[in-house]
Order: sequence, then structure tokens, then C-alpha cells
Amino acid sequence: MSPGLIDLIVSPDDATRNRSLDDFCAAASFPALLAECEALEAFRHRSENLYERVRALFFLAAIHRFHLPAKAELPAGGQIPFQGYEHLLHRRFEEAIEIFTTAQKTQGASDALSSALAAAYHRLAFQTLADQVRRSVRTVRGNQWMFRMGHPKDQPLRVRRELLTPTADGSYPILRELTPVRMDLTHSAWSDIFFLGMDYPEGAKVLNVSVDLGVHGRDSQPQPPVSAWLRVIEEPVLRLVSVDLNARADISNLAEVFDFAKDYLGLLKAAVIAAGIVPPGIEGSGQSLADLLAEMLGPGRGLELVSSVNDIPKGSRLAVSTNLLAALIGVCMRATGQAESLTGPLRESERRLVLARALLGEWIGGSGGGWQDSGGVWPGIKLIEGRAAEAGDPEHGISRGRLMPTHHVFTRDEISSEARQRLQDSLVLVHGGMAQNVGPILEMVTEKYLLRSAAEWQGRQEALGILGEILEGLRNNDIARVGAATTRNFQGPIQTIIPWASTYYTERLIEQVRAEFGTDFWGFWMLGGMSGGGMGFMFTPSRKAEAQERLQAIMSATKRELQNALPFAMEPVVYDFAINENGTFADLLAGADALMPSGYYTLTVPELIRQDRRTLSSLRRTELDKFAAACRTKPELRGMVQTLFDAMFPRGKSDAGNESLAALLEENGFDAKQHEQIRAHLREGRIGLAQNRLPANAAIEDVRSEDVVDLSAKTDQKLADLGLASLRAGEVAVVTLAAGAGSRWTQGAGVVKALHPFAKLGGRHRTFLETHLAKSRRISRLAGTSIPHVFTTSYLTHGPTSDFLGQHGNYGYDGPLHLSRGKSVGLRMIPTERDLRFAWEEMSQQMLDEQQQKVRESLRTALIGWARGAGEAGDYTDNLPLQCLHPVGHWFELPNLLRNGTLAALLAERPQLRTLVLHNIDTLGADVDPTLLGQHLQSGACLSFEVITRRLEDRGGGLARVNGRPRLVEGLAMPHEEAEFALTYYNTLTTWIDVDRLLEAFGLTRADFAPNANADEKITTAIRNLAAKMPTYITLKDVKKRWGHGQEDIFPVTQFEKLWGDMSALPEIDSRFLVVPRRRGQQLKDQAQLDGWLRDGSAAYVESLCAWK
Amino acid sequence: MHIRKALITAAGKNQRTLPLQSLVDRDGVTKTALAIIVEEILRAGIEQIGVVISPGDEAAYRVAAGSHATALTFIEQTAPLGYAHAIHSAAEFCGSDAFLLLVGDHLYLSTAAKGCAQQLMDIARTENCAVSAVQSTHESKLPYYGAVGGQLVNAAQRLYQIEAVLEKPTPTEAEQKLDVPGLRAGYYLCFFGMHVLTPGVQRILGELLTEARGHEQTVHFRAALARLAEQERYLACELDGRRYDFGVKYGLLTAQLALALSGRDRDEVLRGLVELLATK
Repeated sequence: MSPGLIDLIVSPDDATRNRSLDDFCAAASFPALLAECEALEAFRHRSENLYERVRALFFLAAIHRFHLPAKAELPAGGQIPFQGYEHLLHRRFEEAIEIFTTAQKTQGASDALSSALAAAYHRLAFQTLADQVRRSVRTVRGNQWMFRMGHPKDQPLRVRRELLTPTADGSYPILRELTPVRMDLTHSAWSDIFFLGMDYPEGAKVLNVSVDLGVHGRDSQPQPPVSAWLRVIEEPVLRLVSVDLNARADISNLAEVFDFAKDYLGLLKAAVIAAGIVPPGIEGSGQSLADLLAEMLGPGRGLELVSSVNDIPKGSRLAVSTNLLAALIGVCMRATGQAESLTGPLRESERRLVLARALLGEWIGGSGGGWQDSGGVWPGIKLIEGRAAEAGDPEHGISRGRLMPTHHVFTRDEISSEARQRLQDSLVLVHGGMAQNVGPILEMVTEKYLLRSAAEWQGRQEALGILGEILEGLRNNDIARVGAATTRNFQGPIQTIIPWASTYYTERLIEQVRAEFGTDFWGFWMLGGMSGGGMGFMFTPSRKAEAQERLQAIMSATKRELQNALPFAMEPVVYDFAINENGTFADLLAGADALMPSGYYTLTVPELIRQDRRTLSSLRRTELDKFAAACRTKPELRGMVQTLFDAMFPRGKSDAGNESLAALLEENGFDAKQHEQIRAHLREGRIGLAQNRLPANAAIEDVRSEDVVDLSAKTDQKLADLGLASLRAGEVAVVTLAAGAGSRWTQGAGVVKALHPFAKLGGRHRTFLETHLAKSRRISRLAGTSIPHVFTTSYLTHGPTSDFLGQHGNYGYDGPLHLSRGKSVGLRMIPTERDLRFAWEEMSQQMLDEQQQKVRESLRTALIGWARGAGEAGDYTDNLPLQCLHPVGHWFELPNLLRNGTLAALLAERPQLRTLVLHNIDTLGADVDPTLLGQHLQSGACLSFEVITRRLEDRGGGLARVNGRPRLVEGLAMPHEEAEFALTYYNTLTTWIDVDRLLEAFGLTRADFAPNANADEKITTAIRNLAAKMPTYITLKDVKKRWGHGQEDIFPVTQFEKLWGDMSALPEIDSRFLVVPRRRGQQLKDQAQLDGWLRDGSAAYVESLCAWK
Repeated sequence: MHIRKALITAAGKNQRTLPLQSLVDRDGVTKTALAIIVEEILRAGIEQIGVVISPGDEAAYRVAAGSHATALTFIEQTAPLGYAHAIHSAAEFCGSDAFLLLVGDHLYLSTAAKGCAQQLMDIARTENCAVSAVQSTHESKLPYYGAVGGQLVNAAQRLYQIEAVLEKPTPTEAEQKLDVPGLRAGYYLCFFGMHVLTPGVQRILGELLTEARGHEQTVHFRAALARLAEQERYLACELDGRRYDFGVKYGLLTAQLALALSGRDRDEVLRGLVELLATK
């Protein structure tokens, strides 16, 4: 056995096993690392221990992602076999690894192959872990039988007699489960992630508190926010109702129960399945739901299940949805006798069963939380801990820890009533308004844990110490100490492990609260996976009321300030809360009290009233009478009449939205004629995703070495001097493309990417805007002449960017700074079914794991239904006006400079202007590099495009010889995907532009931009003529629609665009291609890239290009 | 252990008329179910048989028992307070003796030379402790039976040490508490409806009924058996035979078919069945 990395995995000695991979690799030579990879690969195949295999996989992923590329001996470039990529997409990871390693043996190691291997190992590692958690969830005793059951006659559950016996008025009683949510006092460095708990049970600990909640100023007092209601009905259906999501359905066939994304009832469906009412084993059996219900309830009967979360917004980090799932499962388990307690609190054994089922439900629904999330099921304050697997456990011999943690509920002797009261009196709970996906963060935590990165490991140990301190504070009734500890936790271990847990917004809030409350502010406390949503602020009890008012004001003001920069889902709220000492609790409502929550009636009554009373069943009639009587007598139903009236006669939809959309279109140069033409072409099938592609007979080959100039590794003083001279002479300006909405960056949230404070550089959060200016500042100083910097903007980004620069005094940039406002805009369209099917069925897709794939397919069917129903190729107008418009591609951005006077202004300032450097907002490494400038000048080219060697993640075209001529080809235009994998270079979009030669290509001269040239018409015509030569691409983009309380839906919409890289296809333009270092050319498209970007030295590289002041 | 007495319960609300139904026995003779059960018990060497009935049923039962009526002692359950109460009604009859307990709505059909009762009594005598006959049963049938969990004691004899007793458990509970090594997945040891019990059971039932008095709660027989398992050695045994519950839908028909197909008239019944199938 090699004495190397395998020892870090298998050593019985803790110190060796916990040694960091980074330290080992930094000291190892390139050949030694390759040898380690080979040894690890062999080891993972022979090891029978799951966690040894997983650690080996993570080691291999990290070596290929970070450590091999850091060695100078690893050749840049290289080609990735397409077949391997296809295996990756289909989740055949082992096959992909096999192909990539074989290629490595034949081609030799390369940066490209390492990127592919890194991705494959990384995904296989997570897949292996996820499979293990799922296997454990299935093998928990009490869950297994549900997977064996495949026929209604085999259904062993029976609904309890108490629920099947109607009361005197003929109605069935309602079983109601009221469940608190949970807050996590310690946040022990995400130690409740299953993978961690199961590998490091002794480090998995959290202090978890069950709380009742109310929205401050809205609700009179805190109450258990989550409730689930169940009753027998006399129809053989499952009637599911979500009061908060305004959704209900009568389900009459089994297949629909397993169709999770069809409507908003996925969580209720998952609960019904996980509770065994419709056991998972019966999926796909083709049997009848009515028969299954008859077995449990008697013929002709069904069940109604209703959920409500009292309008608590999404993203609260209080595990609302997991606790709702637990409440729904709890009520179903009580009803079917699986919990002995029909009413009242649950016993410990029953709570554990609900937890096991909630885990199963989360898996079935394709979601996944931490193991502490169902904490609301337990009462009061408890310590939840991982537990080592012992003989007899299904996990024994597979993982070190059990799937399910243990719960110790603290007694009043351990944490006094006074301490509990004091905690309530000092803590202000809020929802900051941001609703973010914490999935990537949880993956990062798992990976770092398994790699034992030194800082991460240290942080984890520190966090465990902080837990002890918080517990001590509670035991000694010292809440100020608790506050100090949670703050230290947030600022220390949490951010050491995951810097992205903090946001600029959070830090601004803390700063302001501290400034205002001084020492009366006891501390900050992050809830859940990351900050920005649910958060806690602790104060001297005497100032709590004031703090609640002030926090609301501070959050609202800060949100207004940052709403274009960060993805806010809702207006911030302050909660009232109280510790819930019951845990989940059920009661049986019978007779006159057997009423569902009021929201249920808002949802159902209007339709019932519209029906002829005689056609209603007697049960329904009785219920309506009872509800009507209750409306007259019960104070909590006051105002119901008005609510119902509003629901039945909705106020006419305001025209304001439509008007502002029309005005926006008008204002931003919308071309209605072109829009109608595109629509007609789309409907006729003349354009579309399939038609974006170059003809199938186009010969696409990789470029030859003479087609590029490789400046990725060498320095050339002569070129640098030439460039520097031009810079000194003031001949260069920078154009940063900042018109796009960065839809991948925030999954279509419509914020301005340029303004996003995306990472801490030079000690604090920086926006893209500030970073690009800091690079120009450094070069300006180097050259002794300030560089004019232009940011192109669009309808979406112009106002916010202009305001932001104003607020921040142009970040102190002393060179000329211009915004070039976009002059073209499109109106999004509803996609055609043909394009949706092409995108989802014809193009290579990343398969998800089994259960998630099922959810995705069901969602896609729903979206195709939506497109058909809403009208294919119709205008997309059902959203905020700004979300209905789209930018028309970056090709237009340079012509916009010509049209909107920016070029004229630049030329007026700098008549000597000769070169423009154009780059994308997310190309953080791009600056006015003197050597590259020298190369561009020396070549005499019109356009010099920068390209980089390709990695697996660089999808979307590249540099190719098309029918013998080198040019950039967009991914959309690739006749078949495989062709892209033969290309060595990827397009960075960064372009050096010779101003005069470009104008010439347009048929213009500098004279047309002179102050009194009056050449507007000429310029417009010139642009239109050139535009006509550019291909128009049809694309599908995701757009978010927000509704309710922090809810979001994502819709695919059709838009068109023209792209800048296609300029290289014009024969009249002299285009050249420069190979630049990867760090210069790589783009940050997705927030999930940030951590790797920080770890692989890219962030440090960007910092080295910047002068912040 | 000396076992001289047997107890048949037939006082259940839906159970009262079942032992009175007529069936054709293996020997081709028409008898009541009660008579068939009684004969099996007598063959096993039992001397005294107690039958727990609802008040007023004695006459009908005497008729049903036919020539065996004289061997029977009828005990009335004074109030319909459940199965445990019914058994305890016969406390005096049982005295301080071990006894064989059967339910009146089941038919036991042995596949071995010895009858089911005989098999069970032999084991109880050898092991000198309480033994319940059990049958490995699929989990979908759990709503109908009591079930036990425990450890295998003797694989050849299919003998188990009982550690838990649950009445009509949910599969969830069964999986957690009644897992028995050696059974197929999804199968549990459910009561066969036949037990040999020690006098301790009547004592425990007495205690439980006293404890429950005034609390409006029903005492379950399984609670007594669970307590028995805590206090005494208590075994479960799979017999060579099957039980037929004629209280369920088509139960009587199935029981009759099973009897007929294992008896003298097997060919005749089979022929009838084939004819039926051919014309359908």
C-alpha cells in the first residue's frame, strides 16, 4: 500500500486521518501526485467501506480540480472525449471515469482531462453518499414494509374508528395537528447534514428550539405556525388542500399521487406516501386508489388532508416545510394507528417514527433538509446529537454514524424557566427578505469536511466549543453570553468554512444595528444554511420592543438600497415568537367545532356557493351551515364575509402593469415590426432552437497552431512596451458589458449582476462594477494616464447602475466613466412546445438522480401544458413588466455605443482613441494588459478575440475552422454537440477592437461622430445593414415569477439574440485569436463556482490586478 | 406439565353462531364446527372442556355438540367486556391447572399425523411452560391477528422465545418490535388461535381486570400475554397445520374446502370444482 494519501483515509490514528489534503498535495511533486491518483483509483475500487471510497473520490476530485492544475507541468489544452461527457450527463459516472482515465493514459495528463475527471469524481462522490442516505432511510425499521406493498389488498393500515364515526350532525370529526417550527441556536457548522452526521457522529450536535411564531404587527400572538388537518370524506378520493399555496386537488388515481410537480401539492403528496397511506411500493402498480382507500376506510370513502403554515414566508430558515411535512405525516400516522396517541403530544418513540418518515418524505419529494429540521416535533429546547452506529443498526459496518440522531429534551432543572423567558425577551427574529438556494452551500460543507481542509477542520472544532459555551450561557441564565457566542460563531467558524454564508446585506444590517444599539446589542445569530433570510438579533430585554421596530425600518431601508444588487424575494418581516413546550400536538374537533382553517373556506366556499345547493352532498351542506354559523359567532372568523366576497368577485386586474410594460417597450427601442416577424417565423417553424444550428454539412474542425497567437505563458517585453506606449498616449478605453440580467447568476431573479457584492476581495465585499474599475485604476496608474471606462447598460440595468455609481461616488474612479444605455429590447414570448421538447428531449441534458428526475419530468409536462394553454409564441406578459422584456444579445452593445453618443463622447474626450477592450461583466480577470494590447496593435487586426483552453465546464461553442476558415462558433450554432468537444479553445468574448477598422466595417468614419455631424440616420442604417448579416438565435431562458409569501415559480420563455462572436465570421473583418491564460479569460457565471474560484487562486489573481483605492 | 382442561371461547358478538355451523368433516360425516373442534381436543387427551358462551346460548350449543355435550361445561360471560374478560370468566373452571385455549370460530387442520392440539400439548409438556401456536403470516393480514416477536430457540421444532406481544399491530410497529430472525421479509408470527397456558395467565387477567375497573378501559388479552412473557418462560411454536378462520368473508367456505380436500371425499370435491371451473 502506498504510504501516501491512502494513509490519510485508512489510518487508525486520528492525527493522520485528519491531516489536510491541501498540505499533502502542496508538498508533492507532479509525478508523485499522478501516482497518488492512480493508487487512490485502485484503492477506491478495492475498498469495501463506503466512507473510504467516498473520501478517495473527494480526494481525487480535489487533486484534479485544484492541485494538478497548480503544477506547471500539467499541459494546458487537451481534449475531452465526448463519449465520456455523455456518460456524465446520464449519470454513468464510473463509465465516464473509465473513458477519461484511458484518455489520460493515451493522450497524457492535461488540464482539460483533469477538469473532466474532477467533475466525474465529484459527482460520483455525492451520488454515492446520497445513495447511502437513501438506502438508510429505506432500511429504517418501520419504513421497510411500505416498499414491499404493491396491491390494495395488501394494505395493512386501517383508519381509526374515532375518525370513521360521524357525530350527531352527520359530519366526520377533524384530526388537527399543530406543530411549531424549529430554530437552531448553535449552528454547529452545518453538522446536521446527513453525510456529516453519518461519518462524524461525535461532531454532529445542535441546540434546537421549538418555537411558535407570529408576524410582528399582523398576528395578535405567536402560535404554532404549522398545522395539518385530516378527516374522512364520503368520496373515494384523496382531497389535498394547501391553504397557503392556494391549491387543491381531488386525486382519484394512484399515478397522480406520485406526480409531485404537477401542482403545488407535492409536499402533501409526499406526506401521504411517507405515512404509508399510499405506500411507495404501490407506485406504478396500475391499481386503483379507490380500492386502496376502501381497504383503509371502507368502500366509497376517502380522506381530506389540509395544510396551513399561517402565511409564514419561504426562506425563513426555520424549517417550515420540513415541519409541515412532519405535521402532515404525524396526523396521517395518528389517523392510521401507527402512532398510538390519537391526540395530545407524541411519545418519544412516535416522534422518532415521524422523523424517520419525514426523512423518507423529503427523499420522495426530491428535497432534502438536515436531520435537525423536524425539531418542531419535539418540545422546548433540546440537544440533538449524532449517534455512532452499533451492531444491529442497518448502518453498522457501512457508516460510522446512524442516520437518525437522538434528542435530549432539556428539563427545567437543566435550563430554567427564567433563562427561557430571558431568551424570548432578548431575541428579535426576522426574515431579511432574501430567499436563496442553500443547496450548493451544503455540498461545499460536505466536501470540505471530507477533505479536512485545515482551516475548515479547525473551524469545526471551534464551533463545537461554541456549542458548549451557548449551553453554559443558557444554564447560567446569561443570554448576553449566548449572544456573544453566536456572533463569534458567525464571524469565526461559519465563515471560515463557508465565506458565502454571509452576505453584504447581512453585514450592513449588523453594522447598522451595532451603531444604533451599541452594547445593548448582544449579538447576531444566523439561522439555517446561510444568512439574509431568517436571522436573529439579541438585545438587552428592555430595548427589545424598540429593536423590533428599528430592525423593520433598517431592513426595509437596506433592502431598498440593495434590491437591484441582491435577490430579494419579499419585504423583510419581524416575527414575534415564543418557545413551544409541547412539540407537535393534536386534537380532535367534533360537532360544531369540526371546521377546517379559515383559509380553507376562502379557497373552497366560492365554488360551492356557485353550485346548486341541491347538488351538494349532505356533508357539504352541513359544513356550509356550520361555517356560516361560526362566522357569526367566532371572533377569529370576523371579516370572513368580506374575504369571501373578494374571492368571489375579484377586483378587476389593474391596467397599470400593462401600461408600464407598453411604456417600457416604447422607451427602450422595442421594434414591434421585428417582434411580429419573429413570432410569425416561430409559429411557422422557420426559426427555433433547431434552426439555430449551422447546416449539418458544415465542416467543423479544430484550429491549427498558425490560427492563434499563444500568449498564455510567455512574456514579451517588446509587445508590453508597445502596449504601454499606447496606454500612455491615452489611446485605449474599456467597455464592460453590463446590460444582461445575469440570469444564471441568480436563476432569473432579475437583479443587476454588475451590482452584486459577490465576494470579499481586499477585505470586504466587492461588486463586479467595483472590481472592473479597480483593474482600470491599476493600469491607469501604471500608464500614468487614466483609462476611460464604459459600462454598457440596458432597460434593466441602466437606472440601478447609474444610481449605484452615484451613491458610491463612482467608487472613486478618477478616469472618464460612461454608461452606454441600450437602445434595443425584445419582448419575451411563451415558448413553443416544439422548442421546449427540443431543449428537453433532443439536446443533451444532465440527468438528475432517480427521484429528482421524476419530479423534473412531471414539472416539464406541466410547463408544456402551460405553454399550450397560454398560447405558443404569444407575448409573455404575466409577470412584472421588467421581467417580460429581454436584452437582445451582446452584439447590439457595441453598435449602441455608436448610436447613443457614447463613442462620440469618448472621441471628443480622447480624439486619439484607437483601441477598445470589450469584455463581459463576469470576466473578472480581463484588464488592459499591455502585452496583449501590443500584440493586437502589432498585428493590425480589426478584432483580436481572446480565447482560453477548454475545460469541461466551458460549454457553448469555441474557436473552430468552419469550412476551412477560423472563426468563433456559438454553442447554439453547433450542428451537433460532439463537434464542440473537438475544439481546443473556448471563447472568452474579450475583444481588442481597432476603432477605425471597425467603423470601416460599418461603413462609417470618425467624422460621422464629430459634434455637428448629424449622422444619426446614417449610423442607424449602417448598423441595420450589418445586423442583417448577423444570425438571429432563438433561446430559452428561465424567468422567475414571484408570488404569495416568498414563493417563486420558474418559467422557460423564448427570446432572441444576436451575438458578438459572430463578427469573426464576417469575411470583410480581419479577426485574430489570442490564447490567454485561463485565469484571465474564465467567467463567473454561477454562484456555485465561487468557492472553487476562491480556492484555486483565481480570486487572488484578480486581487493582484486591482488597485482598490 | 399435566394438561387436562381445555377452554373454547364462543361469546364474541360476531362469533356466537359460528361454532354452530355445519360442515362435512374429513370422514365425510356432517357435523357442527363445535363438534369438530371438540373431537380434536378429546383426541389430544383432554378430559374437561369448558365453553365460554353468551348468556342464553347454552341450549343451542348443547345441540351442536351432539354426543359430546356431556363432556362440556358451559360458562356464561355475564357482560360483553371483551376476549380477556371471557377467558377470565372461566377462572374457576381452570382452577390451578394449565389449560388448552382455543377460539370457537377457527378450524385447525393438521398436515401431520398428530392433530394440532396434540402437537401443541406435546411441546408444552416437553418444555414445561406456556406455549402459543403461531403461524408465519404476511403483514397485510396484521389487522386481523395478535402477533409476537422474539428469538428462535430451536430451529428444527420452530420454537421461539416470546419477547413481545401486540394485538393487531400496524406494519410499522411490527417491523420495529416483532422482527423475528429466520422469517421471510414482511412475515410475522401471528397467533394461530390455540395456546397452552399456565394458571399464571388467569391470575394476571384477574390483576389486569381489577386494575382496569373504574377506568372505562378494555383489558386486552395480549396485555396479559405480554405480562406473562415478562414473568414466565413463554414460547411460541409453528405447528404442522393450518388454521381456518370462518369468521371472515368466505371463511366457512374455505374451511370446508380445506377439510374436504384433505379427507375421504377429496376426489369428489375436486371433480365438482373442476366442473364448476369448466362451466365458468
